[in-house]
Amino acid sequence: MNSSIQLELFVNRVMEELEKKLSESPREPMIDHSSTETVHASDPDVVTVKVPQPKWKEGLTELIESTPARIGVWRTGTRPLTKEMLKFRCDHAAAIDSIYGEVNANLLDRLGLFAVETRYGNTENYLKRPDMGRIVTEAGVATLRQACKPKPQVQIVVSDGLSANAIDSNLSDVYPSLLDSVDAYGLTAGTPFFVKGGRVAVMDHIGELLEPEVLVLLIGERPGLVSSKSMSAYMCYRPRNGTVESDRTVISNIHPGGTPPVEAGAYIGTLVLKMLERKASGIHLDV
Amino acid sequence: MNLTTRVLGKTYQFLNLKEVMAKANEEKSGDQLAGIAAEDAKERMAAKLILSDLTLADIRDHPLLPPETDEVSRVIEDAVNEKIFTEIRNWSIAELREYILGQQTGNDQIRRISRGLTSEMVAAVTKLMSNLDLVQAASKIEVTTHCNITIGQRGVLSGRAQPNHPTDSIPGMKAALYEALSYGIGDAVIGINPVIDSADSVKNILLATKEVMEKWNIPTQNCVLAHIKTQMKAIRQGAPADMVFQSLAGTEAGNKAFGIDVALLDEANDLVRREGTGTGPNLWYFETGQGSELSAEAHHGIDQVTLEARCYGLARKYKPFIVNTVVGFIGPEYLYDSKQVIRAGLEDHFMGKLQQLPMGVDVCYTNHMKADQNDMDNLAVLLSAAGVNYLIGVAMADDCMLNYQSTSYHDIATLRETMRLRPATEFEIWLNRMGIMENGRLTPMAGDPTMFM
Amino acid sequence: MDPSWITSTGIDIGTSTTKMIVSRLKLARTSSALSLPRYEIAERQLLYASAIYNTPLKGDDEIDAVRLWDIVSDEFGKAGISKGDLKTGAVIITGETATKANAGKIVHLLADRSGDFVVATAGADLEALLAGKGAGADRRSNGTKGAVANIDIGGGTANAAIFQRGKPIGTVTFRVGGRLIRIDGNGTILQVSSSLRPWLEASGYRLEEGMSITYVDLKKICQSLCRTMLDYMSGIAIPSKDETVRALLLGKPLLEVPRLEECMVSGGIGRLMNERAPLTLSETAIHNDIGPLLAHALKEALANYPFRWVKADETVRATVIGAGTQSMIISGATVHLDPKLLPLRNLPVLKLEITQNLLDHPVNLEDFFAETMRSGANLYDTEASPPFALALSGMPILGYSSLQLISEYIVLSFSRYFPECGVIAVICESDFAQALGQALQRRIGPRKKVICIDQVRVEHGDYIDMGEPISGIMIPVVVKTLAFQSRVEVTGSFEPDDEGTR
Repeated sequence: MNSSIQLELFVNRVMEELEKKLSESPREPMIDHSSTETVHASDPDVVTVKVPQPKWKEGLTELIESTPARIGVWRTGTRPLTKEMLKFRCDHAAAIDSIYGEVNANLLDRLGLFAVETRYGNTENYLKRPDMGRIVTEAGVATLRQACKPKPQVQIVVSDGLSANAIDSNLSDVYPSLLDSVDAYGLTAGTPFFVKGGRVAVMDHIGELLEPEVLVLLIGERPGLVSSKSMSAYMCYRPRNGTVESDRTVISNIHPGGTPPVEAGAYIGTLVLKMLERKASGIHLDV
Repeated sequence: MNLTTRVLGKTYQFLNLKEVMAKANEEKSGDQLAGIAAEDAKERMAAKLILSDLTLADIRDHPLLPPETDEVSRVIEDAVNEKIFTEIRNWSIAELREYILGQQTGNDQIRRISRGLTSEMVAAVTKLMSNLDLVQAASKIEVTTHCNITIGQRGVLSGRAQPNHPTDSIPGMKAALYEALSYGIGDAVIGINPVIDSADSVKNILLATKEVMEKWNIPTQNCVLAHIKTQMKAIRQGAPADMVFQSLAGTEAGNKAFGIDVALLDEANDLVRREGTGTGPNLWYFETGQGSELSAEAHHGIDQVTLEARCYGLARKYKPFIVNTVVGFIGPEYLYDSKQVIRAGLEDHFMGKLQQLPMGVDVCYTNHMKADQNDMDNLAVLLSAAGVNYLIGVAMADDCMLNYQSTSYHDIATLRETMRLRPATEFEIWLNRMGIMENGRLTPMAGDPTMFM
Repeated sequence: MDPSWITSTGIDIGTSTTKMIVSRLKLARTSSALSLPRYEIAERQLLYASAIYNTPLKGDDEIDAVRLWDIVSDEFGKAGISKGDLKTGAVIITGETATKANAGKIVHLLADRSGDFVVATAGADLEALLAGKGAGADRRSNGTKGAVANIDIGGGTANAAIFQRGKPIGTVTFRVGGRLIRIDGNGTILQVSSSLRPWLEASGYRLEEGMSITYVDLKKICQSLCRTMLDYMSGIAIPSKDETVRALLLGKPLLEVPRLEECMVSGGIGRLMNERAPLTLSETAIHNDIGPLLAHALKEALANYPFRWVKADETVRATVIGAGTQSMIISGATVHLDPKLLPLRNLPVLKLEITQNLLDHPVNLEDFFAETMRSGANLYDTEASPPFALALSGMPILGYSSLQLISEYIVLSFSRYFPECGVIAVICESDFAQALGQALQRRIGPRKKVICIDQVRVEHGDYIDMGEPISGIMIPVVVKTLAFQSRVEVTGSFEPDDEGTR
């Protein structure tokens, strides 16, 4: 018996079927729906080699592909080339704008999130006085008391933090995936909402108000040049006044080039389940 | 001790030395956040005036944080040379400033009196100095150290190669390291911040950097900037560490927040001397930065300049090979804008040098700070003029793992050429041999990382 | 989590010899505490290598499983391994013994008596890759600019694997081996393998059993054999233009022959190259074959090619070490599955590439899935659970709505063409298995099971094994690669979707 012939047959048939299918696919030009910006400062797919006479050309491509660091950039005298320098400045501009930006109100509406504010006042004060971003305003407290289900099993809160851009870019992927995960584990979520001008420890104030078992805060991170769209998820079992940072569990760097948003949402649900099972979070939760 | 003065028609009465020290600071958002900063420019001047008349003895007699309750204070006190202190105890802070800046005062004189100074005295004189004072005073002080090679000589500007990678990929780190070396950067240290703080990860990175050093005979030293306990574990497992690293705070409570104390540093010191791979005698790398004590709520109401000076007082005990202040990393709640960062960078560099430390500066900012790369260019030039031992070299100044911006390989190369500075001697000889540098300038080959493949 | 060590074994059962090794694999978390968990094999240690045994046979090519088990259990004893210790392992059956009957028997025997083995077969490509890794060619290629080849040469075939910058880029098999011509000490030809005859004919050699041959003539044949092989490996000879190369190749040639910088030789011939050269027929025929002479002819021939010959880290044990230490990978740690369904063996892979274009045209996407499932239903047993593993590649990042769309079409088409299947298995190249698995489960309902793992790269026609989870979340996976795109398995191996081995 020659089994290899059968095997070959199998493989060939699968290949034929698929190739046929692929050739029938429509051939419209690819449209990039991910961005409407006109400046594409960093295009990760294109590796351009600028070193004029590298000792090993293929090697240079390998080096450049091995790291997001800006290498193989060459120089004029001892200074960077113009386009490289401007690319850096573009990325910095994106980072700055995301700090001073505002979260898209339509997005919050679409996801059914109402908004309250912390005492941050304005962006300058927010940056100088992190303590004020940890307390919800009196009006906000009243709203939460009235609108939110008290003592929920899982309370989800969203905040712009240091990057409104992070929320705009990732929330519509992370949030529904998290809800699905919570649901799949048979857990129940409380009334979700958005906090403008929040710092991580605003979790404690909200914890005091609503007394959730577990609180998940999805918050914009300090923007970097690689991404100004990076979001973090802070999770805490029974956050209250006096909770220390090491009691929080964190998944950071959530954006399409980092921790994948949809998968992060699903995994946050797993972490929440573990926190509820073990009645702990942060360094007390071994994952 | 007189704590009252009259400025521009108004009388100012301060409670204690702690208040004078805080209010004499140049404006910093961190002191404001702590609620200890001067109310306005006039009050700041009143504090400076009071401070200028206080004597070194006043400062020593009124400890901001008593040695009985804080081990950092004890380390600082224990290091004071009583004989030298006695000679200068009646100097006012103004006189100390004028002595340091005086024409007759050179490196040797400063080195001598530094042994009679506490960190608080160093902080006090810093508060009375302008930016250019800080540049000139620091430029007088030469601190050379030796791990595998000597750095810090007058006319030498070294660079730390900081080839970090967001997932600790060894090939990725090597790629950024090759780029650094091809620009002549890496004489201070090949120093990597790991993402994963495990002994395995630290060991792998140390082995990888050591392998590159050995393959190309690079005269430098390696270090992985994990927590000291993780490095100790890695060294005990046979990892080749030329130096050990730790971040320091200026108070015992601040260090506790970092998970360290003097006993642990002593233990690590003993270990690196017995099992480290560096030649020595300088086998430590410390990092500091204004604001870390406040962020850990371990500041005891003391201002951030004074606390920073105390970090250096602690660092001095271990005779480090390099120390740097990560000046703009901590965020705008401590240093709001470029003016504050530039000031802090010059203060820290001077305060470290005055305490005989081999000071480098991580000239850097985060994106939520009101600063940009132009400000870093400015500070880097100022520090090069002040004789900074080394700067941080990151590919195009963008650290893709720590998510902040520092100085680039290009920047260090540019500063060397424009300020007529050189890499460390042994390293420059190697650069010449590799064809990267010739007569102190980059050759056409420089900037091609594939020469190391 | 602290790194954990698991014990693995490799057993290589060839036509002539059998050997085994025991190794330790260190599984360590390779992602930061702030990221999704990810584990990889961080370190591999060889703990024990057995002696080399003659493969116990009943008749010509039937393995004597009872005697084989005696050898294996005896060696486990010497290695200090008891049944529960082994978490994974690979059994490689090569040469003429690689028949369905033999493989089935051995898999059952070993699985019953010594824990769960992940792999139970090999083809020439996998064998070449494992030998190349065991010989150290992959690591070696990290330090060279050009490619590094390892040629594993045994009794009947030479399996070459080529690595560039640490990655495998091709495998190719030749009809070259030490036992293809059998002689006695006087130069009498005892046997000529039918496998070699086409090449002998094409090269103008006439060898018949019972003929006598001189040392010089035999050496010429060996030299010529090596030259044909190395001419091909160095790109000098092209199969389409050279009949001798065509006659020597077993299966398809490489798509493209890369420029080799170094070449190493493992297997029995690799070992003989390190021994003294035979100077007479009687020195040659110590095992009644041409092995020693072929080895030294090869050593001399290598000097005439532009690549460097470097010694392999391992010679005769290269394949078994590769099998015991290099065959397993670890799936991403955020997955969706019921551990009770594992282990799963020999799942055929049906691969789909998702493109932005397809996502933009949901009608096409729906058709695409339906057609794939339809062809899957023609190929595979529609009642097996799971019948195959659906592999998704293409989009590194998927948004929530795209993922919902994909899961919708997968469930629709799967339910239509595999209505009786209770389990669907999906392998994602990128990190979205937990989210996709959860979406699939929502749609497919609680009655059916979903296995969804990720960060495993597979190709059409591969077969995949999934082991039981280690420490709850690490799923060991073995991908049995059949092809570098165009190359298809040609040497004997047992039927991979054999029900008996599931």
